[in-house]
Amino acid sequence: MSIEDTGDYIIVVDHINKTFPNGVKALVDFTTNVHRGEVVVLIGPSGSGKSTFLRCLNGLEDIDSGTIMVDGMVLDDNKKNRFEIRKEVGMVFQQFNLFPHMTVLENVNLAQRRVRKKSKEEAQAMSMDLLKKVGITDKADVYPSQLSGGQQQRVAIARALAMMPKVMLFDEATSALDPEMIGEVLEVMKNLAREGMTMICVTHEMGFAREVSDRVIFMEDGQIVEVGTAEHFFTAPIEERTKLFLSQIL
Amino acid sequence: MEIAPPGPVKPLWRRIIRSPIFDIFQFSILMLVVFWFFANSTASMGYNWQWYQIPKYIFTFGEAGFKPGPLWDGLMVTIRISGVSLLLAFAIGLAAALFRLSNSFVARTLSRVYLETIRNTPLLIQLFFIYFVLGPVLGISRMASAILALSLFEGAYASEIFRAGIVSIRRGQWEAAYSLGLSTFDSYFYIILPQAVRRILPPLTSQAISLIKDSALVSTIAVYDLTMQAQAVIAETYLVFELWFTVAGIYLAVTVTLSIIVNYMEHRFQVVT
Repeated sequence: MSIEDTGDYIIVVDHINKTFPNGVKALVDFTTNVHRGEVVVLIGPSGSGKSTFLRCLNGLEDIDSGTIMVDGMVLDDNKKNRFEIRKEVGMVFQQFNLFPHMTVLENVNLAQRRVRKKSKEEAQAMSMDLLKKVGITDKADVYPSQLSGGQQQRVAIARALAMMPKVMLFDEATSALDPEMIGEVLEVMKNLAREGMTMICVTHEMGFAREVSDRVIFMEDGQIVEVGTAEHFFTAPIEERTKLFLSQIL
Repeated sequence: MEIAPPGPVKPLWRRIIRSPIFDIFQFSILMLVVFWFFANSTASMGYNWQWYQIPKYIFTFGEAGFKPGPLWDGLMVTIRISGVSLLLAFAIGLAAALFRLSNSFVARTLSRVYLETIRNTPLLIQLFFIYFVLGPVLGISRMASAILALSLFEGAYASEIFRAGIVSIRRGQWEAAYSLGLSTFDSYFYIILPQAVRRILPPLTSQAISLIKDSALVSTIAVYDLTMQAQAVIAETYLVFELWFTVAGIYLAVTVTLSIIVNYMEHRFQVVT
């Protein structure tokens, strides 16, 4: 398809390539499009380029060639344009990356105040709503170090949502959590998916994929190996490499 | 030092050893030994101690109220020079660090040239260069030369401290800030620097203390700071030992006070990560 023909797609990724300075090819001729409201799950062995792909989408990494378009805006080298795109794309990290010197509330307020230029009262009200949504109401004034991993990650989700992004990227959001805390974070993510948020998730939680995802992409060595519904991957994977990988994680 | 007998008395002995009073006792003993050493050796060279002369050079307190002596005046000049230079040095240091970390080749080179030039030449020469060469050409006053030289010199060291602090912040903090749409300036201002500054408070304090001590060099261009005033008084009175002891004590008092304040701040603003 051509770039102009974006139709219903909120994210258009057209033949992008990315090679790291050490010569590792992270993404090779990668092409995929994401509909509004679609939930895409990316799986694949470590080093397959899943995280790099997410990081390219909001300009944390530069691509060498190809085109990325988010909500009609082409991601280019212009700094301004990059900051514009980041307003529409929320990101949740494996290591939470909360700001340790700010309280939970300040973490969620910051971007609303500095980027969306909201008043303190407006930001505060929205933050409290979001914290309620992720189930952290009584901890608004504590520092992140006083929270459990699961709580920190839920605050991180609230922080990303505070920008009212059109797309949410989850980079192994549950991989650094203790097993008993994975559920609470996945629950927040599932609710988000059901509300119609466009989501791209790097995760190996196949239960999550089965429940809410519209499409699962299996990638290896920077390329798409197999695409299908979660059901397809559970019941009838075609490629040998997919079968091998699934047998390891399931 | 007495050695307590072993056996049942041990707990008490331990308690004495660990009490702060014992620390003070040890310190007093040490000071007595040092004092005895000096008194002894100066007596043998026939030095006539006149400590009673000293207070009037610091300040007097009569019917007219508080009257500062030359050493007091000098201390005020030292504090003023150090204070202004400190602020400038940290501003220059931060700017140089940000330049060094920026994407611009020109900014990086500029910062590097500044750093290497300043760090590889003596402060005394920089002071003379600014006062005797740049001073007449650009019309820089004595006081301004002193402040400029100190700020530039300490700023170079401060910039390395700032740089280390900034790069010590995990990359994830940058990524989180950027992914929220924050500009580079906002990311520095709200996320990176507040965390970095807390980490580098101890080395920055050392730098501030160095600056106060190095400020004594401005006496060489006849700025009447604490050191210069002491030299002037000595030229009149020949109270060499008493005055240099006193001046050293005053510098010590200023720097120790600074350390205590920063120590308190460090505990107050600690961040658990």
